[in-house]
Amino acid sequence: MAFLLRRIGFYVAAFLVAATFNFLVPRLMPGDPVDVMFAQAGTALPPESLEALKATFGLMDEPLPVQYLRYLGSVFTWDLGLSVKFHPLSVNEVLWRALPWTLFLVLTASALAFAAGTLAGIHAAWRRGGRFDSVGAPAAVMLQAVPPLVVSLVALYLFGIALKWLPTGYAWAPLLDPGWTPEFLGSVAAHAVLPVVTLALTQLGGYVVTMRNSMINLLGEDYIVLGTAKGLDDRRLRMAYAARNAMLPTVTSFAMTLGAVFGGALITEVVFNYPGLGYTLYQGITARDYPLIQGQLLVMTLAMLTANLAADLVCLALDPRLRRA
Amino acid sequence: MRSFLTALRGNPKAAVGAVIVAIFLAVALLAPVLAPAGPNQRVARPHEAPSAEHVMGSTRMGRDVLSQTIHGTRTSLAVGLAAGALVTVLGVAVGITAGYFGGRVDEGLSLLTNIVLVIPNLPLMLVLAAFIGQAGPLVIAGIIGFTSWGWGARVVRAQTLSLRERDFVRAAELLGEPAWRVIGSELLPNLVSLVGLNFIGSVLYAVITEATLEFLGLGDPLIVSWGTMLYHAQATSALQVGAWWEMAAPCLALILFGSGLSLMNFALDEVANPRLRTLKVPPALLAAVRARGAGREAA
Repeated sequence: MAFLLRRIGFYVAAFLVAATFNFLVPRLMPGDPVDVMFAQAGTALPPESLEALKATFGLMDEPLPVQYLRYLGSVFTWDLGLSVKFHPLSVNEVLWRALPWTLFLVLTASALAFAAGTLAGIHAAWRRGGRFDSVGAPAAVMLQAVPPLVVSLVALYLFGIALKWLPTGYAWAPLLDPGWTPEFLGSVAAHAVLPVVTLALTQLGGYVVTMRNSMINLLGEDYIVLGTAKGLDDRRLRMAYAARNAMLPTVTSFAMTLGAVFGGALITEVVFNYPGLGYTLYQGITARDYPLIQGQLLVMTLAMLTANLAADLVCLALDPRLRRA
Repeated sequence: MRSFLTALRGNPKAAVGAVIVAIFLAVALLAPVLAPAGPNQRVARPHEAPSAEHVMGSTRMGRDVLSQTIHGTRTSLAVGLAAGALVTVLGVAVGITAGYFGGRVDEGLSLLTNIVLVIPNLPLMLVLAAFIGQAGPLVIAGIIGFTSWGWGARVVRAQTLSLRERDFVRAAELLGEPAWRVIGSELLPNLVSLVGLNFIGSVLYAVITEATLEFLGLGDPLIVSWGTMLYHAQATSALQVGAWWEMAAPCLALILFGSGLSLMNFALDEVANPRLRTLKVPPALLAAVRARGAGREAA
């Protein structure tokens, strides 16, 4: 319990740092962000919203500590201000509308990559130096080095534009009405194939490499040698003895790599015009929508912290030492 | 350094990687000589397909894609090396300080490191870059450097903690060596392969991240780099109108340079962690060797 409390304390501190960062950046940069936004937005914003925007940044005529407390107050009550790009909507509404698509993309792709990458890693480590390993391991390392941006662009061109196998943008065909009809769900699935597969591909290499290295390190352990000496059959030794323990580092790194996956999803969404956080944010960036850009940092941080908390709970269940501590 | 060169000779993966990286460095240095045209010179009709005259075709603005890619190599590599060096220096400094001094210092720095690690990187950089507005290459390198040192610090700290308890470090301390000498001449030399791994990985990360930030429109669009090339291609819907070559050249450069670096890292990893080397050693022998090694460490 003490372990969990300490972790939660840490997460609150981390969130506070992200919020403080958001508070400080506009104050440290030259120029007034509100003026810049008004210049960019042209006539789209009514003059009354100037005051509202100033309030969003806490840029009122008050001493700095008071501004800071006021800002923290609005962040912790989850009042993120007004969006400039999507004008009548608040940042909160814009983000909540986009978040489910990003979560769907990230979770599906991560599950796919985790399963395929771990299995490939197990296989490569077990037959180390074999045909699969000597092609697969360097290929996985190189795959890790290919930016998500490049994978998405290549996939978009090959399967979307040149071969025309799959739709190139949006989450469903625009003519359909959203609902639980088989037609609509089929369209969602077809539109998800390219983003999900490219996002999975960008993570795949990492899982293969981690699993392979962790498994190779374990294969030298005495209990594996003993298992071989006892005459356990290959499959059992590989899966129940070696792979099971070798998977622990992969599971714990899962939460830590999630930040990178969110970043990757951001890029994938921009390339495929997929209506998640990344694409919304992209529109925000081109319109210099500062409240939205700041809001996404808080939402992404919150998502990371939640994932880490979940990983803590899993570790707590797997590792009895943590429960006693 | 010598172990690195030996690794290159004995390891074809590393040799291929090093050759690729060396070629890119040469292209960056010799860009004005190698490129058939200036980066912003309009030498062709818009969106000309690859031909003998323009090997990688031309952009929407009639610029030679190959020349842009060659000139862009300079910017992209410069940002990668600068940001990679910054990430490595910060990570090593924080990691060694935390690991060596321990106690309060370690607690404070570890907390800082963990917070940096848990706040997602790209969203953080987006906020910074957006407020700076049209960030030039140097600024982008700074943004990447100051936000991405967490992993390096964590790894270096862990290794420092284990080195710290070794006899030779204890001996140096008992001799009354000051902290900076213990760190500089006892700890750092033993961290070289780790620092090297960290640097190569950071350069790769920085090159990719720069391209990503610029693609998203946060860079300075007047500067020619792989990222801004992709940004302009996206802005002019190059793929949709069939001008795939405008995207293909910077993508290819990113893939090739990335593969070169990661092949080098793969080999360096094998130097640092001998168990990853592909040897046909029976597991029992490996276990025996390991047991002896562990016994020696404990003694």
